[in-house]
Amino acid sequence: MAASTDTNNRSLLRTARGKLALTAGPSTIWLGLLLLAPLTFMVTVSFMNINEAYNIVWQPSLDNYGQLTGPGLPWESSFWNTAFMESLLLSYVIAIVTTVMCFSLAFPLAYLLARKGGRVFKIVIFLVLLPFFTMYLVRAYSWLLMFGPNGVLNATLLKLGMISEPLAVFNFGVPAIIVGLTHAYFPYMLLSLYASLDGIDFSLVEAARDLGASRPAVLKDVILPLALPGIISGSLFVFVPSLGAFITPRFLGQGKVLMIGQLIEERINSLYAIGYGSAGSMFIVLTIVVAFALAFRYVDVDELGGV
Amino acid sequence: MGLTGTAGCLGGLGGGSGSQTINILTWEEYADPDIKSRIEDEVGVTLEITKSTSSSKMFSSWNSGQNEQYDIAIPNNNYVPKMMDADLAAPVNEDVMTNSGDIYEVFKGFQESQFTSGGNTYGVPIRFGWYGYSYDSREISEDHEQSYDMLFNDEYSGNIIMYDNHFKAMSGAALYLGYRDAFEGSSVSLSEDQIEEVKNTMIDQKDMLQGYIAADPTYIKQFNQGNFVIGQSGRNEIVEMWSNGKSWPKMAAPKEGSLAWFESAVVSKASDNKEAAWKVINEYISPQNGASLAKTGYSPSVNPKTQEHLSDEQNEMFGAIDPSQLESMIPFKSVENEDAWLTAWEEIKSA
Repeated sequence: MAASTDTNNRSLLRTARGKLALTAGPSTIWLGLLLLAPLTFMVTVSFMNINEAYNIVWQPSLDNYGQLTGPGLPWESSFWNTAFMESLLLSYVIAIVTTVMCFSLAFPLAYLLARKGGRVFKIVIFLVLLPFFTMYLVRAYSWLLMFGPNGVLNATLLKLGMISEPLAVFNFGVPAIIVGLTHAYFPYMLLSLYASLDGIDFSLVEAARDLGASRPAVLKDVILPLALPGIISGSLFVFVPSLGAFITPRFLGQGKVLMIGQLIEERINSLYAIGYGSAGSMFIVLTIVVAFALAFRYVDVDELGGV
Repeated sequence: MGLTGTAGCLGGLGGGSGSQTINILTWEEYADPDIKSRIEDEVGVTLEITKSTSSSKMFSSWNSGQNEQYDIAIPNNNYVPKMMDADLAAPVNEDVMTNSGDIYEVFKGFQESQFTSGGNTYGVPIRFGWYGYSYDSREISEDHEQSYDMLFNDEYSGNIIMYDNHFKAMSGAALYLGYRDAFEGSSVSLSEDQIEEVKNTMIDQKDMLQGYIAADPTYIKQFNQGNFVIGQSGRNEIVEMWSNGKSWPKMAAPKEGSLAWFESAVVSKASDNKEAAWKVINEYISPQNGASLAKTGYSPSVNPKTQEHLSDEQNEMFGAIDPSQLESMIPFKSVENEDAWLTAWEEIKSA
């Protein structure tokens, strides 16, 4: 029996179609069933309404999209004057600031690691990744203790006599969410940047310095262009999940901030508005498509791994 | 067909004891091991309990097809009519619900007014509680007039919490604005103008808030941490704090009316084990199991006979609630024009 299966596999591998089926087949089926089919369903449902018995009415309409935006055209302010659009814009701002924060914090460390390498790299990378061996939910929850008028941050500063009353910046809200997301996605940026910087020939940096380039000029004209694939892939890995973040804003926004993921979840849970939710999700899907399209203008797909 | 048959055979082989399995989607306390094993012994079934954190999640998961997977769901009462509308619920099997006759009359009335359609009843009340506001008695006098005004009082600016749920928070604001009439009848019916007024009032209130909190543990943790002094909350959170030795949190019953909830069990119309499912529900309101459930969640059972299985202290804190208190409360109800409520809520949150 085993010999017969072995013979079948070998004969399958003799033809080009057979090879293709054996190698790409499983992943194609996987992607088709778990990515393409749900996405197609979501796009379809975004054009459907839900009736009073909470069933899908299979009659296409633009009603769901009409509810997301205000009356008027995109260049008119009324178009943006809905809770959904305000929530979407806020989510963009939070995702962009998180990406910039991650980059600003990770780049110096990744550069240092790429230059030093060896044992130092192993120790530092282990220390950086150590907290990430715990559950994401637990890490998000632990930030809950840090913020608030009597959270650890305010309480410590008060105890040290550095402030006389709790600082509003350490209350729950947008700054707390950005800190939480930066902490959550920092490793993705760090590892992408490290992979890219590690491939740089640092003799080019020395050559530029020998030829009289200042340190900022070397950074701008030599290091950043060479690290561009890592910067772009790291930014995508941080920006995309930050845009649709749900757990972190739920904990650290203390309900006063409504990001797009929360808004969609609440609509579906409360009203079973899967048409509205699907239409809203299209904005995130579209954003991701645009982000990748822009990324591919500057790097090839095989460079997105950071090298 | 072939796969189904194979799965059926495997299922038969796997169920060594041969007992029926009843799948339940409900709150954490219902999975208490003692209660679970007692019910399993009593009814002769195996209980598989999936914990959920909100009634809305229970409803949306059932409506998206999981009604086939579960025999029982136990959401808050205002979600039972939604399940009835979505044709997800089976009628109550009165023959096996032997403990139903013992429940408070007020809940029999709610059952009649909220869960009955076409001569059939579709839900059974299990446990109840109410929402008002709680406060730190070290900061706020116990002699103050108990009113929702307190949640809109700028004296406590930065130290106020509202419940993170459109129905509970907006209902609190509507009662503050004097819209009590909208809560009469079988559903809550705020007009569009009233919803607009509630929205504007809550947007004005937002600057005074520390935040909106839904989860009981988060509320208790933040209250203990001193992050706020007054907040819209359920009574069970405060009873839990009392049970843990804290005497400073106090619960207020606002003069405008407290919002009363009661968890209610529904059996799936798609269930193959309806009779056993109703027997399980009957056990959740039996004197002994109902008392255990009340102890676990610090919320009273709808069956007053449970008081016999609780200590005097437990009865004083949560077990023996005077039913006359319930008469003055406003039960959770389904909401007319919920889409408009949610739109207003989103505008409040994103303001």
